Amino acid sequence: MVLTQTADTEIDLIEQAQNGDRNAYGELVRRHYQGVVRVVLRMCADPGLAEDAAQEAFTRAWLNLPSFEPRACLRNWLYRIAINAALDVLRRKPEESLTDEQGQMISENAPDPETILIEKEQAMDIQLALQSLPEAARSTLVLREYGGLSYQEIAGVLEVPVGTVMSRLNYARTRLREILMVSHARMENEYA
Amino acid sequence: MHEELHLQLNAYLDGELHGRNLKAMQAHLAVCDICRNELDELRRLSELLQADPAAETIPAERFVSQLMLGLPRRIPGGPSRPHSALPGWLVPAGLLGTWCFIQTVFALTGVFTLADITGLLGRAALWLGTGQESIWFSAAVNLLGGKAFVTLPALSLLNNVSVFWANLFSGFLWQAGISVFYCAWLLIWWFRHSRRPAMLGNVS
Repeated sequence: MVLTQTADTEIDLIEQAQNGDRNAYGELVRRHYQGVVRVVLRMCADPGLAEDAAQEAFTRAWLNLPSFEPRACLRNWLYRIAINAALDVLRRKPEESLTDEQGQMISENAPDPETILIEKEQAMDIQLALQSLPEAARSTLVLREYGGLSYQEIAGVLEVPVGTVMSRLNYARTRLREILMVSHARMENEYA
Repeated sequence: MHEELHLQLNAYLDGELHGRNLKAMQAHLAVCDICRNELDELRRLSELLQADPAAETIPAERFVSQLMLGLPRRIPGGPSRPHSALPGWLVPAGLLGTWCFIQTVFALTGVFTLADITGLLGRAALWLGTGQESIWFSAAVNLLGGKAFVTLPALSLLNNVSVFWANLFSGFLWQAGISVFYCAWLLIWWFRHSRRPAMLGNVS
């Protein structure tokens, strides 16, 4: 089936995909890929793992799509599956520290090697700080900061009250600030 | 700083405070240096997280191609649209409808009975059963003639009983028919609206 992509609304695509149309599902994946990858990447802190989690998330979504109500928010539903898939991938993987390859979150426009190094360390520090958070707090923070979801939406995705979302966010941010403050002090000592 | 104030500051930062709470927070921030500094810290952290460049991942097109190759066939009879629970409001609405229906039937029955007793309906009320004769009763009276004198009270009693049951049955049939129609309508309505937002499903 040839898709008239601009004309097809998301609801149409969902209904076509629910009826087994793989092309329609491919278009949905294309539309939500960036958002899902952004979330799983921050959950996993490893591009390889994040890719596995994204693959798993979209496969689960395909299998469960018939049970999805087309008028509901597909993005939030996908984020929920993505968070679960990322946590499953992390649980299956043995504990490892971030490698140099995983910390390749650097700007290509960095002016000099020292700045590159600092940016690289900073990116790794942020990833390590995120990874050190408990799963519940990390999921909440990732959905807020990288998924751009409102408190109400996060509460729906994680199936918790809004009050819990608020306290988890508060905890995650307080904890992140503490961790990053320590690593910032360490970096200052190293480069002083 | 008080925990509740921390929560409110986070909510303010995320644009989640509205109305009176928002005004109260703005008023508080205008006079409280500690909270203003705390808000700046939270804002800096958020900016740091947002500015943190993401690692390179494979382009969407390549990802979709890979995904499509490995996408499993859906198992027939696998996860399907769940039938949502009966909407909460439908139960009291159904009960109210049933109550109205019963009340209407009783009221109409009362009116017809009164009209029949007072003779207002004349012969039009024969269907209610009063004075009706079964075919077998008429045939028996015609056949026996004057000899039916002895057995007439017993036959009359039997006639009344059979007429009563026949009317009761036809009345019940009417009501049962209407009830079935009503239930069928409810069921159709329910099936047509049963596709609820499903963040559900075994997706964990």
